[in-house]
Amino acid sequence: MRRALWLCVLLMPLELLAGTWWTADSGQAFPARVSYADASGVITLLATGGELDTRGHPFFSSLGKNGRACITCHQPADGMSLSLATIQERWQATAGHDPLFAAIDGSNCPSLPQQDSSSHSLLLNHGLFRIARPWPPRTPDGAPLQPEFSIEVLHDPSGCNADREFGLTSARPMISVFRRPRPATNLKYVTAYGYTFEPKDGLPLPLDPRTGLRYSGNLLADQRARTLDEQAVDAMSTHLQVQGTANAEQLRRIVAFESQLYSAQSVDWRAGLLNEQGAQGGPDALAQAKPGVLKSSRNPQWAEFAGWAREDSPADAQQAFRASVARGAAVFRDRTFLISDSAGLNSMNFGNPTRDSCNFCHNATRSGMDIAPGQVDLGTTNEPFADPAPDMPLFKLTCRSQFAPQPFLGRVVLTHDPGFALTTGKCVDIGKITIQSMRGLAARPPYFSNGSAATLRAVIDYYDRRYKIGYSEQEKQDLTNLMSVL
Amino acid sequence: MKHRRAARIALGALRPSGAALGALAAALAFGQAVTAPGPSRSFIACPIYRDTVNGRKSGCWLATDASDGVRYDVSLGRTKPQIGHEILVEGRVSSDRAACGGLAMTPIHVSVLETTCPSFTLPAEGFPGRRYEVPLNLVLPPADAVREPPPPPYPPRTWAIEFAYGSDFLQYQYSEVILDDIARYVLAAHPRAVTIDGYAATRGWVVSERRLSEPATLAASRAALVAEALQRLGVAPSLLKVSWHGNAQAEPIDDGLPEPSKRRVDIKMSY
Repeated sequence: MRRALWLCVLLMPLELLAGTWWTADSGQAFPARVSYADASGVITLLATGGELDTRGHPFFSSLGKNGRACITCHQPADGMSLSLATIQERWQATAGHDPLFAAIDGSNCPSLPQQDSSSHSLLLNHGLFRIARPWPPRTPDGAPLQPEFSIEVLHDPSGCNADREFGLTSARPMISVFRRPRPATNLKYVTAYGYTFEPKDGLPLPLDPRTGLRYSGNLLADQRARTLDEQAVDAMSTHLQVQGTANAEQLRRIVAFESQLYSAQSVDWRAGLLNEQGAQGGPDALAQAKPGVLKSSRNPQWAEFAGWAREDSPADAQQAFRASVARGAAVFRDRTFLISDSAGLNSMNFGNPTRDSCNFCHNATRSGMDIAPGQVDLGTTNEPFADPAPDMPLFKLTCRSQFAPQPFLGRVVLTHDPGFALTTGKCVDIGKITIQSMRGLAARPPYFSNGSAATLRAVIDYYDRRYKIGYSEQEKQDLTNLMSVL
Repeated sequence: MKHRRAARIALGALRPSGAALGALAAALAFGQAVTAPGPSRSFIACPIYRDTVNGRKSGCWLATDASDGVRYDVSLGRTKPQIGHEILVEGRVSSDRAACGGLAMTPIHVSVLETTCPSFTLPAEGFPGRRYEVPLNLVLPPADAVREPPPPPYPPRTWAIEFAYGSDFLQYQYSEVILDDIARYVLAAHPRAVTIDGYAATRGWVVSERRLSEPATLAASRAALVAEALQRLGVAPSLLKVSWHGNAQAEPIDDGLPEPSKRRVDIKMSY
């Protein structure tokens, strides 16, 4: 079996072994299928539109003044996101001169001395880019909203929230938060909506007047963009520092490229090929499957690995690992625990607490996203549940008396990232972060929007502590193994 | 008014809407026998969560009425309690106490109050809880399902959507089924107008020696949310005539519980 696995791996395109970094304007062709080694195996990207000539293509071209392209922060080898290891390697390889480290958001604050690695510490140590949100928040049309809360900066080692040019009291007031880049792949699962209504607010999802389709509500950590077009416009004006308005043809080509791109782990060093013995790992199944499907008894979550379930305890290491993955899927679906004090979950009419499993929230098949707009407060960025983060800004949000407070954290909330509330201005949305795709995880640590979990095991440990689950060591290992093959 | 009630009941038999259907569905969802209505009871209490483990969402909610010391099972409402917050319980008492260790109330409306109270959790203590299944008539088909419009004829219809006390939240696995029904019917029937009347219980009443009342603004926000929902479902804004009223009168909506019926939005179409 091992020999067969290695033969398969060796037959894959040689990007596995060659340099993996994609530079803006490189002009190299983007293959129809390409694979890269990562920490636990191989991630494969499938472009259903076939090989792409990237010369002049806006996803691969430096469109703005800082030399970056979309591809800079959405690297194929990292599942179209960016791992911390890649960031650190790039700093070493370029002495910090890669456009990746552009002052605008690749440093803790643009006003800091850019030649110092300490000015890029949040990116270099945590994989975090600066996201500057306008204060007060604005509607999608750009009109200012009257926020339901005031905001104070209690602590900010980045210095940016107190900066005269980029801070909260500057001429253009901004809140700087620091987040991981989301993967620009498998996007049909991000833009799909399974049902017309949003159970968290009881209303039908809003309609996009341009397309007649509804907004899925699942783009970006704070849902500041409703469509891939809006996301591209936002990214071009901020991360790429493109001057003026976005070119419609550029937007069309960017969205077209990323919409036909699928990626997933295809090989695991312990499990072998992830699409054999009845399993459906890898990007091909993702490309073929229907998005927006809610898990159910007919469509169980992570049924892709049901064929690996075993009644016995196989001695063979590969079979044992595969059995562990299948057990992990079962734990994910069936191991219930008390979910409590989580805005967006317990604030619906299910009650607080409510007994459910991981797939209460990660309920969309194939992606593990929330089939409804996935803005929930899992506690990753907020006191009291967030892991200590002394390198991050800490904000104090105080809800005005005439508005309902954050349902579980109260009227005064300490948070490293107000999340969705920076888009809506509402107290009930403080600390909510959009659930993201679970595919290709092995290629892009660290995890959570603020990079607070360095490993997949740390993700499990966080949830175990947050919800007092009491996972056994075996359950933790099974869940970690499951997540490593997605 | 009599005609209106009859129409509602008749429609209730045809479509998944209304509080009675919700309560019936809740009973069916948890495998309960449907029996004759029991005595009604309203009280305010601090909820207790009993952590029964019988699959997802299988936990029990208990609340003791201080006026008689009876512990009730208040798990069967559309809205579940929030631990650490008092609840207003309005419902009918049944004879079932096997599932959770309290006398089950059904139909039942639970409203979460802003007032806080201690957080109480009990272990299962041998009680099984109830397996949770969502009745099919409270689940809308997927967004991409091909659905035929309702067949003609299209006589004028009315609908009502109830709300929890003090809330304008459109409750999940209840409101959306009614809103979907309204929109599909209106889009097929092409009425001249759709009247949306929001109500709030502004006059107030006494429960557990405490006076409760709702602000009139709640009537407005309830009506506005229903109008917003119908617009998002494709109903032309020009059709919608939105108004709101305080001092709501009880309407014999479906389950016959008077106070919850004052917290509602009526939707009526006309040619």
